[in-house]
Amino acid sequence: MSGAPRRLKNRAPRPIHSRDPQGGDRRISSPGRPAQEPLFFCMSLFDTTQLSLEAAMRGASLRQTLLTDNLANVNTPGYQRKDVDFHATLQQALMAGQSPDQVSFSPTVDSSRAVRADGSGIDADQESADLAENSLDYEALVQVAGARTNILQTAIGVR
Amino acid sequence: MGLFDAIDVAGSGLAAERLRMDVTAGNLANAETTQGANGQPYRRREVVLQEAQPNGPSFGSMLASASTAPPAAGVQVAGIVEDQTPPRQVYDPGNPAANAQGYVLLPNVNPVTEMVDLISASRSYEANVTAMQSAKTMFSQTLGLLR
Repeated sequence: MSGAPRRLKNRAPRPIHSRDPQGGDRRISSPGRPAQEPLFFCMSLFDTTQLSLEAAMRGASLRQTLLTDNLANVNTPGYQRKDVDFHATLQQALMAGQSPDQVSFSPTVDSSRAVRADGSGIDADQESADLAENSLDYEALVQVAGARTNILQTAIGVR
Repeated sequence: MGLFDAIDVAGSGLAAERLRMDVTAGNLANAETTQGANGQPYRRREVVLQEAQPNGPSFGSMLASASTAPPAAGVQVAGIVEDQTPPRQVYDPGNPAANAQGYVLLPNVNPVTEMVDLISASRSYEANVTAMQSAKTMFSQTLGLLR
């Protein structure tokens, strides 16, 4: 936040020169905003929503791989299940002001579930349910991304 | 290429479960084999599975300039081991394989155990098929965005 006041300070002399005594007040009406901030930010082709959708799709496909791995190892003794909570990771990144396309997801080992006698924590029913949930999750993301693409295509006259 | 990873992982699961089914079927077929390859009664075999380790970055992840290895590599067969429990002894003096006391050594195969293993392998196979289909559906949905 140190950039904004300095920039205002630098620009302060100009309005005084160019403006009459009664002017100058209009500058002060938006003190926190730098003068060059792009007002058309939301209309960019790849705005935050589109980038978030893309990041969530990346997360969902990683989760699909991990859940598939869990199912493939359902009979492996001592296997610990892996998962990724990409919703939480993405949410934290967005709250922290990070750009969604910079977010990377990494798998975590989940030992919270009940462990069988052979040391494996995989419950095939639970994994199948998670898998179904995740692929619906992904489908929803794809549908929304597709709808947004359609809107853009309509706007630029492709269809 | 996350979704292709999922298909590869499910494929490794399919291969592992199919091998389990083959070995279990072999145990069932040899449930009464008194003369194995070494002259001893057949011993039941078991497949030992282990988690496959991702071996370095793949071509796809190199293309995507990701230095990380794929997150999951599926399952692999660590080996096929023989069950070391002692063979069953059945008193049958008329059998050509009977020893001096009239006992025949039969394989340590319990058909009930084998049937349960067979069902387990078959269900796990189905679960992997479902996972693979799910990944395929997701991928074709993504391709549908281009249309």
